[in-house]
Amino acid sequence: MIKFNKRGQWKIQQMVFMILAVFIFFILVGLFFLTWTSRDVRNSYEELEKEQAISSLKVITDMTEFNCGSRESLCVDKDKLRIMRGNLSLNYADFFEVESIEFYVLGNSSESFLIYDSGQSQQKKYSTYVSVCEKDSLSGYVYDKCEVGKVLVGVKLVNG
Amino acid sequence: MRSKSGEFDFSWLFAIIVGAMILVLAIYGVVRLSDTQRYQADTETAKKIEILTNPLQAGFAEGKFGTIEFRQTTRINNLCSSEKFGENKISVSTQSSIGDEWKMAGGEISVHNKYIFSSENQEGDNFYVLSKPFYFPFKVSDLTIMTSDKENYCFVDAPEIIEEDVLGLNIPNVFVENCSSAVDYVRVCFGAFGNCDIVVRGSCSSNCGEWDFYDTGIVEKNGATMSYIGNLLFGAIFSDENVYECNVKRLMYRASQIAEGFAERTDLMTARGCNTNLKADMVYLQGLTGNASSSNLVGIYQVAKQTELKNEQELCGLW
Repeated sequence: MIKFNKRGQWKIQQMVFMILAVFIFFILVGLFFLTWTSRDVRNSYEELEKEQAISSLKVITDMTEFNCGSRESLCVDKDKLRIMRGNLSLNYADFFEVESIEFYVLGNSSESFLIYDSGQSQQKKYSTYVSVCEKDSLSGYVYDKCEVGKVLVGVKLVNG
Repeated sequence: MRSKSGEFDFSWLFAIIVGAMILVLAIYGVVRLSDTQRYQADTETAKKIEILTNPLQAGFAEGKFGTIEFRQTTRINNLCSSEKFGENKISVSTQSSIGDEWKMAGGEISVHNKYIFSSENQEGDNFYVLSKPFYFPFKVSDLTIMTSDKENYCFVDAPEIIEEDVLGLNIPNVFVENCSSAVDYVRVCFGAFGNCDIVVRGSCSSNCGEWDFYDTGIVEKNGATMSYIGNLLFGAIFSDENVYECNVKRLMYRASQIAEGFAERTDLMTARGCNTNLKADMVYLQGLTGNASSSNLVGIYQVAKQTELKNEQELCGLW
């Protein structure tokens, strides 16, 4: 039977314990860093989504698919909203690059137009006021009938 | 380190081996972590490019120009896919002074609602973004043209209207006429022959004004011939053939979708007594543009022009 030196065994135990402690320390530091980094990624993502949503408000209302064609920014055509809330908007599913687009007419008619909704339940919505116009005719004269409206654009919430 | 008998102490040997393992693991971890950080930063940059180009869209202006500045030399990759509305896939890689000069690019960001004309890969510290509207005959979208500060362009024999357009926007890497020989230029010749990297040939045959002459035509670049109409001229000059052809297909598909919407709109307008006779024209245009490519551009453009004239004569115009 081999006899081990007791002092040597004790030293090896000490060493193993130290190494384990150093490993656990590094793992804890690593985990802390990963948590901090993932929070940073999440914050950056949300910040970028927010910036995209805000800048998209003007881009979307200026699209020919919505704009009232009067060469005015933030002016949408009611006929186009009626068309886009129908089947045509299904083709545009990935095109808008936001989670949802809704328009509300705040005038007497109080109509709402849900143009697109990805089905994402956790959304943050950003909005701005727009003119909602439609071409009408009265006694042979064509004119633009406009009301105040609002456009809401939704983006995905990571923590929601 | 040695015991009294002169043997190598086991505990020291053990500590050195394990210490070396910990160091190797730590270095590996740091390298992997820095790669992940770089990937994250490059992906964020690609997303920022998409967002920063939003306020640079021409909208209702004749054109708009802006600069995107980077802290270090950056490579932007632009791949295009033309399935239905299609997309530009933008990815970014930054120059590194450690290891490989250009590491793998960050995540691709898909841009569906913009038409980014550029080279498939370009490097620079600053990128210039020019936006021009594209009409066919209604406004289809804004064209986003992106060039790097590493490439300078010299427009030779350009018509006055294009010269004014370019000079008015103060694009730092586009020069007109007397380009200094000290700088290396990409020479863009309008109808000229000789020492030209890119040649633009207008195709107007009769009653041509100065701009009309270059309203439609072809751009010859790197052995490729690209047909253009209107502001697509700038897209053809500043982008690679693959990116150009792909974006043209995407624009044509978008035009067909807008035409479909306009065709439906004619019914709604007629119901309100605001009659229009453009439904058949819109349905026809929708059919023509649905699967069109740059080779069909000039032919369909003639139809688009006729439709525009009809729309102008309508009391209740569609656009």
